[in-house]
Amino acid sequence: MDAPVVAAPSPLRSGFAPDTRRTGRFLGVLALGFALAIFLVDAFTPLEGAVAVLYVVVVLIAARAFRRNGVILTAAGCLLLTAVAYFLSHRFFDSDSALLRALVSLAAIAISALLVLRNQSAARILAEQAELLELTHDPIFVRTPTDTVTFWNRAAEDLYGWRRDEVRGRNVHVLLRTVFPDGEAAIRAALMRNGRWEGELVQTVRSGARVVVESRWSLQRDAGGQPLAVLETNTDITERKRAHAALAESERRYRTIFDTARVAILQQDWRGVKAVLDAVPREAATTLRTHLHDHPEVVRDLRRSVTIVDANAELRRLIGADAGAWAPQSLDAFLFEDEPTFIESLLALARGETFFEGETAIRSLSGESVPILFGITFPSHADGFEGVLVFAVDITERKQAQEALLAVQAELAHTARVTTLGELTASIAHEVNQPLAAIVTNGEAALRWLRRTPPDLGEVSAAVTRVVASGTRAGEIVSRIRTFLAKTPPPRDWLDLREMIGESVLLVEREMARGGVRLIRDVASDVTLVHGDRVQLQQVLINLMVNAIQAMATVTERPRLLTVRVVPDGAEHVRVTVVDSGGGIAAEAVERVFQPFFTTKADGMGMGLAICRSIIEAHGGRLWITGHDDPGAAFHFTIPTTAERAA
Amino acid sequence: MAALPVIAIVDDDEDVRVATGSLVRSLGYTARIYASARDFLETCPVDAPDCVITDVQMPGMTGVEMHRGLLALGSRVPVIFVTAFPTEALRNTVLAAGASDFLGKPCDGATIIRSLEQALTGGSARDATA
Repeated sequence: MDAPVVAAPSPLRSGFAPDTRRTGRFLGVLALGFALAIFLVDAFTPLEGAVAVLYVVVVLIAARAFRRNGVILTAAGCLLLTAVAYFLSHRFFDSDSALLRALVSLAAIAISALLVLRNQSAARILAEQAELLELTHDPIFVRTPTDTVTFWNRAAEDLYGWRRDEVRGRNVHVLLRTVFPDGEAAIRAALMRNGRWEGELVQTVRSGARVVVESRWSLQRDAGGQPLAVLETNTDITERKRAHAALAESERRYRTIFDTARVAILQQDWRGVKAVLDAVPREAATTLRTHLHDHPEVVRDLRRSVTIVDANAELRRLIGADAGAWAPQSLDAFLFEDEPTFIESLLALARGETFFEGETAIRSLSGESVPILFGITFPSHADGFEGVLVFAVDITERKQAQEALLAVQAELAHTARVTTLGELTASIAHEVNQPLAAIVTNGEAALRWLRRTPPDLGEVSAAVTRVVASGTRAGEIVSRIRTFLAKTPPPRDWLDLREMIGESVLLVEREMARGGVRLIRDVASDVTLVHGDRVQLQQVLINLMVNAIQAMATVTERPRLLTVRVVPDGAEHVRVTVVDSGGGIAAEAVERVFQPFFTTKADGMGMGLAICRSIIEAHGGRLWITGHDDPGAAFHFTIPTTAERAA
Repeated sequence: MAALPVIAIVDDDEDVRVATGSLVRSLGYTARIYASARDFLETCPVDAPDCVITDVQMPGMTGVEMHRGLLALGSRVPVIFVTAFPTEALRNTVLAAGASDFLGKPCDGATIIRSLEQALTGGSARDATA
């Protein structure tokens, strides 16, 4: 038979009475034999005692061996045997005392039978209940108030890994290394106070794995109110907790993406649209497009029915909304009149597609158009239309970035060209600034010596002498530079002036745009190639063009026109003319503009035209200036078209 | 009586060197002129001046390198840079390194004098313009 865990008679044991079939049969035979022996003694021996009372033992044995009917039959048999024995040994009313003894025996048998039956019935109910506890999937055990295990169901065996015979009498919470997150003392106090407690516990199973259980404790008290036993039901929620944590993590990740993505994300409620589309008869589906195009008011209603559930920060940025100022509204607010992709998305949804993407422009809060690429993810099932996800990328920025990139490239090209000139002027600046510094300092010193009392005329004389020397030196430096430019044979190539002018125009395009200058290019068709240094000639051209643009900066009463004209000049030269519509150059200044350090500009060096003339002369050409019919100045230079003439 | 302040002038250009020396002397200071940064650094530890006016671009050792050398020697002598090709980047570099002032050539005498007086009284051009 099963080894009941229960130490004392208790309903909470498995395999309750009647005992197994074999034991039952043995007990039945035993009861029968015992009954026969009692009958023989009772009927045929002269013992003057209440022998028949011993039938109570037979009934008790039968209670172990048989079910209800068997017990009734046994009791009836015992009653019968008692009566028969009495008649056999005493006939009728032989003795009052014998009759009394017989009646006492009969009463004892009957009472014991009744008690046994009642007990059996109660036990059966309890046994059925215990059977149910055995059947349940939840691990259940019963323990004494001091944690000693008295019952341990199959699910507990499965969860914890110990069999019931292994845990019998052991302290269950020591065995399971239970962790009480809410505090053990508090939990036990709550159990004593309320008779029940529920909460989470962490326990360790036989394999060493930790499990989180949802635990429910019920306290059983005896008649005197003393704690008798605690029934613990522990449901393993480790997986549930893990799944929940995973879900929470997933949600958190989604939220992070939602909040911080550089992609605009919207949750839109499309249930209204879905309902309308679902109501469209199947045969009308093919004409849906025509229908929608013919009924803009339907489309408008549908646009209004799509509400914005949530929108991330990037979307708010995209439509120009402050974090707090904008409350989610309907899709209609974002779309311009006759926005084409909305109808396409409706048709895609009607076709049962789960993804739709397109390019469109949305309306920002200030009414501006923002170009976007977008994607809509439709749920594949009927649920989920309350949170349709829409992604959008602002492509204004991309376009701006492209433009910025182009601008940087142009800037780079510009800088590269201008640096060549800049480096030249830097080295000239250093060369020329030294004597200039000496002149200024000597002059200052001479004044100081002169103002002394008495003036130190020796120092004054020395200083002024140095001024003259430094001035002479400055002049020498400039002529050295001009000689250098003239004498260094620059690399000569055959150059297409048309091409060169085009490149130069690109480089001064920004200056022209900034100065509001319009360019007129007038290149004669019979201009041939010229022979010269591409970089130097380009520098001359750029220099003349920039001068012209700057000369027109103050012009307001007439158009600012920059004309670059190229015509043949005799058989062996080409003449390039740069004309502006600025203030022109005073007649007395016309020749001085080519002298070093002559400048009309606040930040000018006065070297540009001097260098230009040197370059052109080194090429065997000429550079000169004329007025022309209209206001402004005209600079001309010639370049040989033959290699022989070039110096 | 306190000795006259000594101003060291370092410039590879003789014209500038002599002219600056004359100006400094006309102000009543003692001027010592050096044709190279190295020449100056050799005498500095034994006979430190009260202020240095130096060029930046010089063959051999630049004024900026010389200033670094002075700092490495533990010298706190104020240094005024005067260059024929001033750039904003260079200006920031030398002022960040602790230069007293940074001037472009040609600069008028009044500017040099003001800068010199600020250097000698312990202020710097930056403090004065701040």
